[in-house]
Amino acid sequence: MTVATHALSRRRGDCMVTVHTRSFGITARVHVRAVAVTTMLSAAALAVFVWSLTIGDFPIGLADVIATLRGTGTSEHEFIVRTLRLPRGLTGLAVGAAFGLSGAIFQRLANNQLASPDIIGVNAGAAVAAVFAIVVVHASGPAVTAAALVGATVTAIATYLLAYRRGVTGYRLILVGIGVAAVLNALVQYFLTRAEIYDAQQAVVWLTGSLNGRSWDDLRPIAVTLAVVTPIVIVVARQLRALELGDDAARGLGVRVERSRAVLLLAGVALAAVATAAAGPIGFVALIAPQITRQLVGGRSLGLLPAAAGGALLVVAADLVARRIFAPTELPVGVVTAVLGAPYLLYLIARSSRGLTRG
Amino acid sequence: MTVPDRHPSLDAVSVSLGYHDRTIVDHLSLSIPAGQVTAIVGANACGKSTLLRGLARLITPTSGAVLLDGQDIARLPTRAVAARLGILPQQPSAPDGLTVADLVGRGRHPHQRWFRQWSAADAAAVEEALAVTGISELGDRLVDELSGGQRQRAWIALALAQGAPLMLLDEPTTFLDLAHQVEVLDLLADLNDRDGRTIVMVLHDLNLACRYADHLVAMGCGTIVAEGRPTDIVDAELVAQVFGLDCRVLPDPLTGTPMVVPVPTRRRQNVAGRGDPAAAGDAAEFVSAGNA
Repeated sequence: MTVATHALSRRRGDCMVTVHTRSFGITARVHVRAVAVTTMLSAAALAVFVWSLTIGDFPIGLADVIATLRGTGTSEHEFIVRTLRLPRGLTGLAVGAAFGLSGAIFQRLANNQLASPDIIGVNAGAAVAAVFAIVVVHASGPAVTAAALVGATVTAIATYLLAYRRGVTGYRLILVGIGVAAVLNALVQYFLTRAEIYDAQQAVVWLTGSLNGRSWDDLRPIAVTLAVVTPIVIVVARQLRALELGDDAARGLGVRVERSRAVLLLAGVALAAVATAAAGPIGFVALIAPQITRQLVGGRSLGLLPAAAGGALLVVAADLVARRIFAPTELPVGVVTAVLGAPYLLYLIARSSRGLTRG
Repeated sequence: MTVPDRHPSLDAVSVSLGYHDRTIVDHLSLSIPAGQVTAIVGANACGKSTLLRGLARLITPTSGAVLLDGQDIARLPTRAVAARLGILPQQPSAPDGLTVADLVGRGRHPHQRWFRQWSAADAAAVEEALAVTGISELGDRLVDELSGGQRQRAWIALALAQGAPLMLLDEPTTFLDLAHQVEVLDLLADLNDRDGRTIVMVLHDLNLACRYADHLVAMGCGTIVAEGRPTDIVDAELVAQVFGLDCRVLPDPLTGTPMVVPVPTRRRQNVAGRGDPAAAGDAAEFVSAGNA
């Protein structure tokens, strides 16, 4: 493997490096700071995740946790770590990564910080379908998950078609998306007022976004989606660099604009939908994670993988706080992300009218 | 940089272009002279940008065809077209936080694959494009920090790095002050001189178009009113027909190319005369100087 620094672009330790692997014949161009940030955020997420396995009403030492993971722990520890805490932690990591990546894709595509799936109605679509399943059909478990997935996908397609006028621009997508989200949230409220009190309570917890009681069954769909979608996104990200220059410039560079954008949008929708299905519409993660990591990485990288790592860290850390802050009572993780995210959204809107008007 | 080894031909054959159901360019035929600078001029909304967008395959003709080297551009793979034809859109925008070298590097897109994202040829092309456009020392600067003229140079460098022997530019001088307009047009003329790159641009300023174009295309209402060498076709009658402007056409004292001097309207004279006698005197002096 050979590594070469591009001499022209050295700026405050902020350089592009060309990595060439002879065995596969692949030459990749990476941004050093983006790699460093991704590594650090992933390490931090992993550390919080392992720490979260030790913490709870029944504290288990780190050595015992590791022993249990290696299959040499006591049966009591086995149950707590492997059945209760491990799937919950892993689901948190996966859901956070999926929301972060999805938010980064949407924001870069639309060139607008507000264009994340939680703002433009994708998560709301999942929520309507799930609440309908819980309240009207009295479904639970995998059926709610499936309903959320269908709801998010249908909403995304409907939003795309409503925003379509000889192609879709970011600005129109956001406005249409906000409108669609408003309609869907009204529908959610309607379902809740019609519901039995027990169903309504269950629905409200799901709507806040919670990792409580996640099992291996909840983890599987989101893990598979990440494993399939992430490589696709990495390959198509190259087109995104051209798309960022505007549709005309991208076409001039030989990009099939509509097709590339459709692939990226579908990837973003799938990630957001499956993540929502796994843990409910955990608010603000898709909005915040890409922007905080962008502050760390700078504008030269697309910041897709850093956003995924940042999202994972955000969700596992928020879940740890949610579990322990009023222990033994657990808060849904969405409460913590909302406490962090809502002020950030206000700050964002106050700081840059530019972000609102650019399209 | 890949120096164009030959001149691709670009022809419009009876093309109609429009948006939605509105036809803007109607059955227009045009051959772009290879290795020359062509300027498309015309009044606002006459379809000059639409024509350029059609030539650049940014919009698909509703009838007729645009031919690149004799082949229908709409049927060629867009990436193959990108290797031969580069475009500079009107008022392009770069994402925040991008450096000039990064922006120019994105011009190499048609030469890259996902598994081969950067090569020595890419680096060399970017370096040369920066050098040719005179912005080598700005490579590390952010695009947002540049002046209007520098930014336009950076975008032209992107099109250069793309390595296409044919460049289409949509109003490359809009929103630039006069000095920067001349700077950008000089750069384009140099590119044409260096390696015979074919340049097609939409321009607002008729006098600058006459100076820099080998071939002038004057458009009105979606059709070509006249085309040819500026000295051969630009006269008061054409300007009246295309711009609805009463003018005199004089030879440019520095280049001998046609220079359009609008005839002062009565209203303007009245305003000047009524308001400030000194200004009216200045205006009269200016007009007589112009006539001399």
